[in-house]
Amino acid sequence: MSDRLRPLLVVAAVLVLVLGVVPAVLGAFDRSYLYQVANLALIFVLLAASMHLVTGVAGLLQLGHAAFYGVGAYTAALLTTEAGLSFGWTLPLAGLGAAFVAVLVALPTMRLVSIYFAVATLGIGQMLYLVMLNWVPVTKGPNGILVTSGLTLFGYDLSRPASAYFVVAVVTLASLWVIHRLSHSYYGNALRSLREDDQCADAMGLDTVRLKIESFAVSGFFAGIAGALWAHTAGYISPADFSFPQSILILAMVVVGGLGSLPGAVIGALVLILLPEVLRPVGDFRNIIVGGVLFFSILLMPKGIIGEVSALDLVRRQLGGAWRGEGTKAGSEVGWR
Amino acid sequence: MNRRNLLIGAGLAALAVSGGAALAQQPVVKIGYQLPLTGNTAQYGQDFKNAAEIALAKFNASGRPFKVEIVFEDSRSDAKEGIAIARKFVDDKEIVGVLGDFTSGVSMASAQVYKSAGMPQLSQTASHPDYAKISEWQFRNITTQAQEGPYNADWMVDQGFKKIAVIAEQTDWGQTVVSNFADEVKKKGGEVVFSEFFNRGLADFRPIITKIAREKPDAIYTGFFYEDGAQFLKQMKQLGLTIPVYSTSAAYNQKLIELAGADAEGMHLTATFLPSNPAPQVQEFVAAWKEKTGQAEPGQFPAQAYDAVNIMLAALEKAWPEPTREKVRDALAATKDFPGVTGDTTFDAHREPAKKLTKAVVKGGQFVAVAD
Repeated sequence: MSDRLRPLLVVAAVLVLVLGVVPAVLGAFDRSYLYQVANLALIFVLLAASMHLVTGVAGLLQLGHAAFYGVGAYTAALLTTEAGLSFGWTLPLAGLGAAFVAVLVALPTMRLVSIYFAVATLGIGQMLYLVMLNWVPVTKGPNGILVTSGLTLFGYDLSRPASAYFVVAVVTLASLWVIHRLSHSYYGNALRSLREDDQCADAMGLDTVRLKIESFAVSGFFAGIAGALWAHTAGYISPADFSFPQSILILAMVVVGGLGSLPGAVIGALVLILLPEVLRPVGDFRNIIVGGVLFFSILLMPKGIIGEVSALDLVRRQLGGAWRGEGTKAGSEVGWR
Repeated sequence: MNRRNLLIGAGLAALAVSGGAALAQQPVVKIGYQLPLTGNTAQYGQDFKNAAEIALAKFNASGRPFKVEIVFEDSRSDAKEGIAIARKFVDDKEIVGVLGDFTSGVSMASAQVYKSAGMPQLSQTASHPDYAKISEWQFRNITTQAQEGPYNADWMVDQGFKKIAVIAEQTDWGQTVVSNFADEVKKKGGEVVFSEFFNRGLADFRPIITKIAREKPDAIYTGFFYEDGAQFLKQMKQLGLTIPVYSTSAAYNQKLIELAGADAEGMHLTATFLPSNPAPQVQEFVAAWKEKTGQAEPGQFPAQAYDAVNIMLAALEKAWPEPTREKVRDALAATKDFPGVTGDTTFDAHREPAKKLTKAVVKGGQFVAVAD
């Protein structure tokens, strides 16, 4: 197979799988429940992927990611109910709103490193949660918001789980492509250098503060997009949806999948959303089983289901990201094209 | 396959056939119940499940022409699980009605699914002011603060309390506790001198209590559940504040007295359910509860769940012989003077229950009904 053709085929295969095979299989069962779970899984794939960029690639341990998810959801919900905007507008605006908040958060915290940064984001996540809970005149506080307008695009109502699936899937796939290009490129390498040694990266001429703020903003943007998807598909949001345990859930997805690995983040999200649903017949023990799976996967696969090295190798080979100059031997390529 | 296996196989097949025949004689109607069986609020969900099983066992043993099966699903009080469960119930064509969820948030999120699919939903505890307004498919079996707030305000003002401090938890329900109460106090010529919300699970109430003491109110009105209530009462006594405390039916739980001990003495509250009520249905439920759970008397919430299940079962009976979701909804809407353990229940035109409230006080480690 030629090197030029392979990436196209891989992308086509992913598209066929997500937009063709999966809906066909779900459609064969004709159960809205399956679509609902699929939509939820895709939203969390997006959340995990957005956290992957900042925590996995740039190495900034983020403990308040659910807050940006919440900012996006609230932005979308308020723009719909108060300003009457439709999904086509609220989706990008929710992303921008969350990115804006992320930049505000990033400015004072970027001087912090390692555990200090983690604790700062933990605090900020809690603060944003408490704002959602207690700023009653704007967010309706604990009453939450009934999102009256569903997924309406170009005048078509796509709120039924089956049609919502395609909207969520297309948005998630497009976002994943952007995150893929950011993390598997020279830009991604620069972020990785921050993680390994930011003083060294600084000494080599990288603007580390700017890179960190940018990665934070992009990560917040996609978390906001996920929030808008949740607000419009669920129809009702309340602060409890964006509390601290959700941040930990997203972090667990990224870690179980493999820190620094985008395919890992995707698989981690799928595992942690689908496993509790699959185990529903087990009853009260399902949480224990999910906990056990988490524990053993970290114990036996500390690098994650797909570790960063194998993920990068996979992406380079299958998506043709590797640089292939004249006269290089196969297997000796370095860097990105 | 040898001969012996064949025989066993044939025997099993015969069993299956006869089992199927028995089922055919006794048709089964299915309803769903979504509730938190694990997670932070699991203690409530487990109570609901016990109450539901008591009600169901009684119904199925009563020789009705059909049996009912309840499908329990664990929502963990998480909206994303609640919505998935709602989809699951809606997909199951045999399920004609749904009970739950516990928190308003999950009930409201799931209600979006039930609204679009046309499934009657009866929550035993969803107290959000807009819950029943979502669509004609939502019902609840909990007195809202629109009823309880003014009732308590009248009670307190009639007792001669003019300056009242109000605190409530920062939830949708807590908001309604304060707003409904304060409106009526103003109407009656009283004054709310202090009002503040606290986040659930607050460990230290002393700053709030100090602020209350500074306002020198005649009494305090509180919107909390038993865990927070016990903390508040204990810390209030520690700080030496001795003004009367009034609360809502949500605080009605024997565990409040267990946790707060003597500090709970003298707290006033309203309730729709008192286990000491001599009415036969109440005593039957209390006895069955003690036998099934091995616990002390049931609290307010399990009683509401028990009634909610019974109201749903009565609606199924009305919708029999061919129960559909529409017929069950109509039967629920027509519920009138249903004799439950939380008093007679009637759904009004907005699918809100009207119930008779009882005034009670903590005395000698017990909730005791009082006239005023």
